[in-house]
Amino acid sequence: MGEAHCEGEAATAVIDGRDDAPLVALIGPPNSGKTTLFNRLTGLRQKVANYPGVTVEKHVGRVDVAADRTVDLVDLPGVHGFSARSLDEKVTRDVLEGRMPGLRAPDALVLIVDSTRLENQLMLVEPVLELELPTLLVLNMWDELEERGGKVDDAALARRLGVQIARTDAHGGVGVEDVRTFLGGVVPREAGPTGRALTNVPRGTALPMMDAFAERRRRVREIVHEAGFVQPGASSSSERLDAICLHRVWGPLVFLAVVVLVFQSIFAWATPLIDGVDVLISSSGEWLGSALPDTWFRSLLVDGVWAGVGSVVVFLPQILILFLFLGVLEDSGYMARAAVIADRMMYRVGLQGRAFLPLLSGYACAVPAILAARTVDDERDRLATIFVTPFMTCSARLPVYALLIAAFIPDEPLLGPFLGQRAAVLLGLYGLGIAAAVLTAFLLKRTLLKAKPSSFLMELPPYRLPSLRSIGLRLLDRSRIFLRRAGTIIFAVAIVLWTLTQFPRVEGGPPPIDDSALGRMGQVIEPAIEPLGFDWRIGVGLVTSLAAREVIVGTLGTIYGVEEATEEDLGLQDALRRDLTLGSAIGLLVFFAFALQCMSTVAVVRRETAGWKWPALQFGYMLLLAYVGAFVAVRIF
Amino acid sequence: MDLRLPSIPLRQTVELVHIDLPADQAEPLLERGVLPGCKICPVRSSPSGDPIVSVDGSLIALRRETAACLCVRILSGTSATQLQEAS
Repeated sequence: MGEAHCEGEAATAVIDGRDDAPLVALIGPPNSGKTTLFNRLTGLRQKVANYPGVTVEKHVGRVDVAADRTVDLVDLPGVHGFSARSLDEKVTRDVLEGRMPGLRAPDALVLIVDSTRLENQLMLVEPVLELELPTLLVLNMWDELEERGGKVDDAALARRLGVQIARTDAHGGVGVEDVRTFLGGVVPREAGPTGRALTNVPRGTALPMMDAFAERRRRVREIVHEAGFVQPGASSSSERLDAICLHRVWGPLVFLAVVVLVFQSIFAWATPLIDGVDVLISSSGEWLGSALPDTWFRSLLVDGVWAGVGSVVVFLPQILILFLFLGVLEDSGYMARAAVIADRMMYRVGLQGRAFLPLLSGYACAVPAILAARTVDDERDRLATIFVTPFMTCSARLPVYALLIAAFIPDEPLLGPFLGQRAAVLLGLYGLGIAAAVLTAFLLKRTLLKAKPSSFLMELPPYRLPSLRSIGLRLLDRSRIFLRRAGTIIFAVAIVLWTLTQFPRVEGGPPPIDDSALGRMGQVIEPAIEPLGFDWRIGVGLVTSLAAREVIVGTLGTIYGVEEATEEDLGLQDALRRDLTLGSAIGLLVFFAFALQCMSTVAVVRRETAGWKWPALQFGYMLLLAYVGAFVAVRIF
Repeated sequence: MDLRLPSIPLRQTVELVHIDLPADQAEPLLERGVLPGCKICPVRSSPSGDPIVSVDGSLIALRRETAACLCVRILSGTSATQLQEAS
């Protein structure tokens, strides 16, 4: 959740504001170890922001090159070329050409390639050299090249290309100092755009595109041949793993096992961590309550802010575990296999394989996922992908699911130690989202978005052990974003809600919550949600959760927090059990599985589809489905 | 003879002759090194029967519909009859 909320913020903030440091751009194809090298060089001294107007993340870090000198390094998205078909390619091109607002033109380039696939990867070299900037070519995975019996004369390659070369194993940290030495020699150029345009096909060529590519390929082949490049043998461990992970029978089973493992761990195994954070927050709240004098301020702080923000912050461990798994799957190379296994399925429902990655990102947050749908090249496929992405169970739903499941579903095994009842319900909710997405895509592609299917292409990188350092840094980023959001949006909602519970004053004190401004607002919408078995408290939660889904948890935390201060002392879960039946709790879960309770998503869909038609249709459709779904669920359970 | 990639048996390396796709659809293939003149070798089938090919040390998963647009040529040393026996 929350990736979108760093948008527009600090986009121009170069670290610490020292603008005299040279800027170096780090580029390379996907899976070349680019980000690993970036992390090695910058460590914790990096900032993630968004490029202005887009949600491609901008990673800038500061590298120490001497005792008193630093260089800023920008980590660009991995690209195969510069056709600017995808947003990643466009961002990369704009930064390299010096056209990116808020970022000056780079003074030098570091091009990193996977040396085990040198010939293939050097296709990027020619367009990059045309920029005529000081360039370091990093031959990464050098250890793997040698292990698998490949070789290349790097000195000859350097002479032939006219660039400096470093051999590295970024994963193990070998050769990183050579890169640092190169960075130390970079001097700032005259500012301003490079005046060069990056293209796949050399400028001024008379050849058709395909021939120009073949021509470049011929030159690259000649160059690596002259440098004595010997292609290493195939990675036998990767082949053995693929024999299982892409096996006709084992492949889909492994796929399923991975999915179950992820959900079981974010639910069952995260519980002790969540309980720990919960105890920490409630005991610190109690301490705060006893330390402060009994004033309105104590009520605001303890019953409003602490209860509201605290009830969301407890879910940090769970969200981090989800991102930990996504990170491990991505970095290990399994994610690409999963995409291949899923492709045929996606194809059948009328989506293309490229939609798999946006949909998968949708499990974290729909906003970056919808922007990631830009990689889907066919316009109708892209619209269909955008339309169904919010059905994917984003992490903002997790706090809601976690709260209700913990309150209503017994913690008992269903299938021995492997699958508990709670995990099964969670899986069911994820399944519900997928089913709704599939059905909706199927309908869309047969009605509004009829089209011929397009192509799918997926590169399968060798399996690699994920680097703890990279994943750790990413988790740190996610925690920051999550906590910043809890500290802003949810904090603000908590204060507004608390204020609404304090008026109109009765005999100089706060009114009973049913009579408060908030209570009355809730009672206005109560008739609409009564058929679902929800009372006005849930109604208020549904309204505030329009801002973001997880806000309902904070809202209920605040409402019950204020209520408890005046009535009997109940935990949030006990209070829910008092006010909801099992049926309406499941109804509420179903409602959240379907409804588009997220203003950020609506805003981003409007921007991505250039109008209100699609977001309005999407919001109405999902709300209808949510209401009907909840209505049916209440009557079944 | 119009030989297409899907009719090539696993582990048989062939040369790509022509990509029967419009330029904009072919570009992602070209960027990843799948271009006329390259050696291409089907190494595996995905669980759903789509080809996974090796090109210059990279593994690339295609759809069989895309693979059907890749016109290939048997490298000398393998006769067409051997090919038929193999498949």
